[in-house]
Amino acid sequence: MAMNSSVKSWRDRIFEAVLFFFACIFVIFVLILIAADVFYIDKKAVITVLTSRFIAHALWMSIWTSFATTFISLFFAVPTGFALSRLRFPGRILADTIVDLPIVFPPLVVGLTLLVFFSQTAIGRWIQEDLGLEFVFQPKGIVLCQFVAAASFAIRSAKTAFDDVGWRYENVALTLGCTRWGSFWRVSLPLARNGIIAGGILTWARAFGLFGPLMIFVGSFRGRTEVLSTTIFLEQSVGNLEVALAIALLLIFVALVALTFIRLVGGSALVKL
Amino acid sequence: MIRIERISFHIGAFRLQNTSLEIATGEYFVLLGPPGSGKSIFLECLCGLKKIDSGKIYIDERDVTFLEPRARNIGYVPQDYALFPHLTVERNIAFGLRVRKYAHKDIVTRVTETADLLGIRHLLSRKINGLSGGETQQVALARAMVLQPKILLLDEPVCALDEVTRQEVCAQLFRIQRHLGVTIIHVSHNLEEAFSVADRAAILHDGILQQVGTLEELLRKPDSEFVARFMRCDNIFYGEVTGPGPPEAGLTPSRASPRQQRQTRVRVGDIELCVPGEHRGKVKLMIRPEDVLIRSNYEGRSKGENEIYVKPVRWRNYGGYIKVELDGPFNLVAHLTDAVYADLKVKQGTDLVAILRSENIHVLPA
Repeated sequence: MAMNSSVKSWRDRIFEAVLFFFACIFVIFVLILIAADVFYIDKKAVITVLTSRFIAHALWMSIWTSFATTFISLFFAVPTGFALSRLRFPGRILADTIVDLPIVFPPLVVGLTLLVFFSQTAIGRWIQEDLGLEFVFQPKGIVLCQFVAAASFAIRSAKTAFDDVGWRYENVALTLGCTRWGSFWRVSLPLARNGIIAGGILTWARAFGLFGPLMIFVGSFRGRTEVLSTTIFLEQSVGNLEVALAIALLLIFVALVALTFIRLVGGSALVKL
Repeated sequence: MIRIERISFHIGAFRLQNTSLEIATGEYFVLLGPPGSGKSIFLECLCGLKKIDSGKIYIDERDVTFLEPRARNIGYVPQDYALFPHLTVERNIAFGLRVRKYAHKDIVTRVTETADLLGIRHLLSRKINGLSGGETQQVALARAMVLQPKILLLDEPVCALDEVTRQEVCAQLFRIQRHLGVTIIHVSHNLEEAFSVADRAAILHDGILQQVGTLEELLRKPDSEFVARFMRCDNIFYGEVTGPGPPEAGLTPSRASPRQQRQTRVRVGDIELCVPGEHRGKVKLMIRPEDVLIRSNYEGRSKGENEIYVKPVRWRNYGGYIKVELDGPFNLVAHLTDAVYADLKVKQGTDLVAILRSENIHVLPA
């Protein structure tokens, strides 16, 4: 427990102890909650979870859709974040605010809004019926739902990362022979990497645990649009509380493995979280 | 040659106004000015990072006003050096060469040559984090120089360095400039820095170029009170012409023009001073503190032309000289050498005589 190697008075030590106390309280609280689940479930529930074909499918759906959402979000977040950071255009502040709106939407509203858009508007119906891109109650809809609910985290992080990089590096790159495009690829993007990865992690975490809007927009059809979070809801709604908690532990375990892996690969990215 | 014709630029409330300047090929030019005067913006306009509102910029008679920064063949070192922290020193220096797709062999050769020239070959494999201020500055310079630009723009290149390193780096910059023959525009707010490198200098204030010339001209013949004060002249007085004065001492009709022979009498407070040239009405006079001669007020010796009685009120040793603030008909500042100061035995209230030689007094334009 040390902030740095400077000489400390007893006041400094008390200050550090207070910080450490709050950190410990939160970490221990989370661990106690998980432990409560662990002690509640029984062997039968664990075996059910590990052997169920439907739960395996839900797990796979959760993993691939959340990663697909993360990649699509980053694909949008990098240019959008860079545009919001660098370009000056009328309505920029409004655009910047709108980017944050999905973060404050109640989750159910995202699902409801998507449902209304695709079923009640001409553009939505054109996309579904004429273009043949069906989202409502389809696996593709899971990714779209997660994207709407989570992409804001990626965009916000990317913008902040580009803001932190600043103009000077790009200006120097321009005098050294780069085009705007070149200075972006060679300088801005590598320097903003950690912030962008951090945004990706937040996006993935949000997408992986998303529940409410999925229930409304894509439902929870066994073997089709079911993901872990909706499985937990279905199991507990029919009284299988042990199984629901066992699935929750599986979800927590996968999240723990993924976050640890990304932390190891992403280096200091998580520091920005 | 760089020719800048009446360029203007604005950002927010700041305006760079109708600035014109010519800088010869191979010249070491220093742009001086207080913080916020627009020096950095001027450099950014020159290298194309800021699009000017009006005016023209020519490099060797080629109009570069609307060329992209990469097409201007200008090296630029920003104030914070802006080394790319995700690249090693070697990759930083080689950045421009890689962008311009030089062959690997050429890149290695050029990077090594430039690093050798600046004495930083041992740093090539280092990361940027962990370099000292001086090392960072040298790497930034190498990165700009490796492309062999015709013009180098240095934005406060040594302001973040300690005094000793600053002097060393300035000496090195001057040496390299002479060796390569490159034109350098060096932005600074520090006079010592300018004196150590500049062939010519200019002073910018509030986006307006105040004066261009050699440092000696800026020092002795400032065009305005601002320039005089920026060049650290504390002695500026307001006076009124009372009539013609005697011919300048030491000038005979065969050696001087009629105008040079003429002097003007100017009343400053309760006394009259003789100043060179012909003037009328109200005038502003300046004399550099190092040109103020001080002698003891010996009993029985009469006061001569342009001599005034003064008493020291405050003095402080600045290392190379002693700054003495004098009270008299008007407040005066003199810079004395240690020897003169010791000889005068300066004490609070000592009677002294300040000699303001006519040829050292400069009349500022009204």
